[in-house]
Amino acid sequence: MTIAENLFENLRLELRRGCLTLAVLAQLRQEHYGYTLRKALAERGLEIDESTLYPLLRRLEAQGLLTSEWREEEKRNKRFYRLSSDGEQMFGQLLDEWRAINKSIDNIL
Amino acid sequence: MDLLDRYLEAVKKHLPWERQDDIIAELKANLEAQLEDKEAALGRPLTAAEAEEWLKQFGHPIQAAARYQPQRYLIGPALFPFYWYVMKLAFIWATLIYLVVTVVLLATRTPIQIDVLAILLRLPGGLLTTAAWVTLIFAVIEIAATSCPGKFPALASPSADWSPGALPPLGQQFAGGKKPRSFAQAVAEVIFGFLFLVWWLLVPQHPYLLMGPGAYYLGVSPFQLVSVWLPFYWWVVALSALQLGWRCLDLIRGSWQRVRTAEKTVMSAAGLIPLALVLSVRDHAWITLKRPALDQARYGVAVDAINKGIFAVLVFICAIVVLQLVWEIGRIGVKAYRERTATMH
Repeated sequence: MTIAENLFENLRLELRRGCLTLAVLAQLRQEHYGYTLRKALAERGLEIDESTLYPLLRRLEAQGLLTSEWREEEKRNKRFYRLSSDGEQMFGQLLDEWRAINKSIDNIL
Repeated sequence: MDLLDRYLEAVKKHLPWERQDDIIAELKANLEAQLEDKEAALGRPLTAAEAEEWLKQFGHPIQAAARYQPQRYLIGPALFPFYWYVMKLAFIWATLIYLVVTVVLLATRTPIQIDVLAILLRLPGGLLTTAAWVTLIFAVIEIAATSCPGKFPALASPSADWSPGALPPLGQQFAGGKKPRSFAQAVAEVIFGFLFLVWWLLVPQHPYLLMGPGAYYLGVSPFQLVSVWLPFYWWVVALSALQLGWRCLDLIRGSWQRVRTAEKTVMSAAGLIPLALVLSVRDHAWITLKRPALDQARYGVAVDAINKGIFAVLVFICAIVVLQLVWEIGRIGVKAYRERTATMH
């Protein structure tokens, strides 16, 4: 990887980091377990590595933005996540922020 | 799948013990679901090579487990600029203290021996110890600040209480942190430089100007100065005249406020020449006996003691001049680098 490619990759990851959290919170307005959440995001054009997504779910839950429960589905125990009431509030605020940034960037461009 | 279980077991070892089972159960459910989808799409189980390739995407077990841990820093980004600032100061002070202590120890040791290589090789060890202590102290501060952020707000963010009003006035920051030289100061420097030169030029005819009553004692004493002091004397004359000329030129040109980096560097470098000249004297004998055959038994020990004292003083002055030179060259280098980066941007 050249220096320019490496720099681009770092900046891209930095740019994506906050967006991923927003996308996960948005998608978890409906209940999902890890794998179906990843598939649902991928179907909408946002690919996330498992190694990024699953720890992210844990962190968001620890921050009180998600709730989870273990439930059996298709003969297998799975942990299902959804947005908590605090998470809904936070999601609303973040969405407003994201839209404002988007609008500003559009204006600048 | 044996390989998946082995991978999960390896990840488990590096997870926090109180959440190991929970995380592994969830990870297993997710990965098995993914595996089922993959195998359904292929219409067959994965081969060993495909399974290895698939699991490799999740990263090394240590990395995979680390993502479930909170981000950890030895010294976090809020504290790091202060850590780095203190580290630089500590390095400068450690080097200065080491050099001064080394010079003093060398000067007081008998017989005097200077092993420059050994002195230089000991310095990195001292700096490493300094760095270790500074890092340890800041790591403890970081742990205290992150464990109980409410209890140590000043530690968690040392810059939180700063006030722009507490910054030093601009005049004190002029020209690399120094107040610019006033006209009166520049004139005084020229006058005192001139007076020094006149005084120094009169010393050979009137030695009491330098040594006071000692001049008379030197005349009647059994001791005498060796010939190396004469070129040393003229070197001092030349350097003083050069410095005086430089300062007069500044006054004439109206540039007395400028930073004297070049002048200081040249003077420090040139100042090493007479010192080296004097230090090169054979057997470090700057004072000898006028009649060695007669007085050696009586005054030999005294002459040795005086010469050792002179050697210690010369080495000490030499160390200071070298440090000054290194400091000035460093400043020139940093300034040049900054100017170059400024033009590049």
